[in-house]
Amino acid sequence: MLVLSRQRDETIMIGDEIEITVVDIRGDKVRLGITAPTHISVHRKEVYDAIQRENRAAANIKPEDLPPPGSTPPGDPNDRRPRGPGGPPRRS
Amino acid sequence: MVIETSRFGGIDVDDQKFLNFPKGLLGFPDDREYALIQTGENSAFYWMQAVHRPELAFVVCDPRMFVPEYRIAIKAEDLGQIGLAETSGSQVFVIVNKVDDTLTANLQGPLVINVATRVGKQLVLSEKKFTTRHPLMKLPARIAALTKTA
Repeated sequence: MLVLSRQRDETIMIGDEIEITVVDIRGDKVRLGITAPTHISVHRKEVYDAIQRENRAAANIKPEDLPPPGSTPPGDPNDRRPRGPGGPPRRS
Repeated sequence: MVIETSRFGGIDVDDQKFLNFPKGLLGFPDDREYALIQTGENSAFYWMQAVHRPELAFVVCDPRMFVPEYRIAIKAEDLGQIGLAETSGSQVFVIVNKVDDTLTANLQGPLVINVATRVGKQLVLSEKKFTTRHPLMKLPARIAALTKTA
């Protein structure tokens, strides 16, 4: 890993298009400003990790974990049914 | 075509209706094609079964059926990646999990799908008001008990 020292208001460049600026430093908290093209997505890593972890956990779900058909959803029975794109295929 | 699944055996699905996630889902980058399967006549839940991996399947639902106030802002860039210019041609699903006696939904990582082409992407929302385990409903104790003995 490349490690650089920066002071407040100093910037690093990643390639030609991504800039990361140290906006503020207070105690153990550093605020960063990030400028990047829209096709580069910028996320807090813990959010990304949490979604990945939850995907892995949710992949273990079993048919018997679901409520019996007809018992969901709670609420308005006149609600429109969820539509799959083009209508979901049925089990055969 | 018939696809093999660990949960349901071989099932016949219309390969014209497969969902295609060019980048996969987070943690599952290599599984790109899924079949959407109804769980029952009146169920809000669908199975999203990986076409090429029998043991990989998710339960998904329309989040607005349970969380009417759920609104997300989809970035133009994300829409562009599924071939859309605006949200009107898209449908949002969320992945469902069972945590103890509660069904939860991952509202922080919704799936957005181009209804016409069935190309989709899992979004990463930065808003902290959404969680990866938003409670949808408590399972009846009867069902929880059945699950234990199953």
